[in-house]
Amino acid sequence: MNFGYLIVVAEHNEIEYAKLAYALALSIKNTQKQGYDKVALVIDNKDLLEDIESKWVFDHIIEWDQETFWDGRSWMDELTPFEHTVCLDVDMLFTRDYSHWIDYFIDNCELYVANKAYTYRGDIVTNDYYRKCFTANGLPNLYSFFTFFAKNSELATEFFKLGRSIIKNPKEYSNLFLSKYKPKVLGTDEAFSLAAKILDITDDIAYPMEFPRVVHMKGAVQNFPSPSPNVTDKVGFYLNTNGEIKIGNYQQTDIVHYTEKELLKDSDIRLLEEIAWKIN
Amino acid sequence: MSNGVVIFAHNNGDIDYASLSLIAAKLAKTHLNVPVSVITDKETFSSVDQKEFQNVFDKIIFTPPSTTNNTRNLYDGVESKKVKFLNDLRPSVWDLTPYDRTLLIDCDYLIMSNTLSNYWDNENELLISGKYNDITGDERVGYHDRYVSDTGVKLYWATTVMFTKNERTKLFFDLVEHIRNNYNDYGDLFRFSTKQYRNDISFSIAKHILDGYISADVDLPPVLSTIDKDMLHSVDNGKLTFLLTPQSNQNYVFASVTDLDVHVMNKKSILRNAKELV
Repeated sequence: MNFGYLIVVAEHNEIEYAKLAYALALSIKNTQKQGYDKVALVIDNKDLLEDIESKWVFDHIIEWDQETFWDGRSWMDELTPFEHTVCLDVDMLFTRDYSHWIDYFIDNCELYVANKAYTYRGDIVTNDYYRKCFTANGLPNLYSFFTFFAKNSELATEFFKLGRSIIKNPKEYSNLFLSKYKPKVLGTDEAFSLAAKILDITDDIAYPMEFPRVVHMKGAVQNFPSPSPNVTDKVGFYLNTNGEIKIGNYQQTDIVHYTEKELLKDSDIRLLEEIAWKIN
Repeated sequence: MSNGVVIFAHNNGDIDYASLSLIAAKLAKTHLNVPVSVITDKETFSSVDQKEFQNVFDKIIFTPPSTTNNTRNLYDGVESKKVKFLNDLRPSVWDLTPYDRTLLIDCDYLIMSNTLSNYWDNENELLISGKYNDITGDERVGYHDRYVSDTGVKLYWATTVMFTKNERTKLFFDLVEHIRNNYNDYGDLFRFSTKQYRNDISFSIAKHILDGYISADVDLPPVLSTIDKDMLHSVDNGKLTFLLTPQSNQNYVFASVTDLDVHVMNKKSILRNAKELV
């Protein structure tokens, strides 16, 4: 089996994406079974990794600077060093072993894109506050934060190719397909959803499943009576010395997509490092 | 294994909980075909037709009277009164129940169907209703009917609780008691209002903690409810007709239910229909 997780980051003036990638890679090493814990990092400037103590958590470090910011993720099929890959958003943390699901994906899928998210209380996100473009234009509700694909899949190649074309030509695609509500920025989620719709493959790549379960910590989708941009304005985020996460009164057992880029402190990363050092 | 229903009945000087418990017990016996026991105090017992009590209840279990200062505003239609809310003895049900598997119900919960019979053999040792269904639909269901607080855990409804007597459920009721005894501290931790002690909240938090700080989804059926501003208007051959409190700029409306278990929060209106109910 040649499987691994792919993280794509680029230099940013305010956000230390390399550090977030490091935290995610640590959490993968800390929770996934051997053989299911490989991580490849695509980064536009390897120097950004200088301060990172345990670079070994990245099994592959690929320097690549052809795109900026999140656009790089649309090249995931060409960048991955693995036969089977899950490409993740960088601002995520793993909380338990999901390897049994990876076996399922490898055996049954060429391409699978997450199509739901959960609140920190375990409810499925139904609020479309951040997804007006999807609702208005009838796009499938895809989330690129967890995308599984097989490297030599024609279906995946065609899908990512169209996704890249959409990201490269946002005005043209918006005018043609998203006229009822044009997104300010046509990001990877919109591009993937539109690509799936145009290719008419939504039922093949985003059918209902119990996994991935990703807790989306954007404030407006938590079903609070008075919404807040940040979940942590309302409830605490707690990472303990076992790498377990509690948000408010809820133990998290799913993948936590924390979205607040400044949430993780150096002390949190130190905690994750210490677990990784004990295990390895 | 013995199955049975348990009801708490402690008169508070305003509401005749003893008579309510008789009505609830007769309906439960009719529809679930299991014995029903009552947990009460000597003073309440002295106010009832003791012969009828002994005929209806399988066992009459006495506890010392409640010592709580808990109060609430209770409506009877448009009229309201601040009354004592003697709800602090619930955790003792584990010690006091005579049954191996117990269905604990509020004495204003009218069992009109055999729905809950389906849960006697359920593999889950503790089941609580996880949802409040208002008779009018979703319009009157508030946020705090679903969660204990703005950011807190799912609210369970201790109106119906079924449990098997074993060490794990003992732990649950001990924890409920611990939360009751440290209600303000838990209010800080779980961010709920502590103005009034609510078993629903203590049960919800105890369940959340023992489930591992997650939401577990195996529950008793939702509690179909009418609020205390509604009135049970009449009962005719098992059909319960309610006068529902007016919504904004509307008149009272009638609504009827048949063959459904109903939580009738307007206790006085149950008593007014006692004869027809049983």
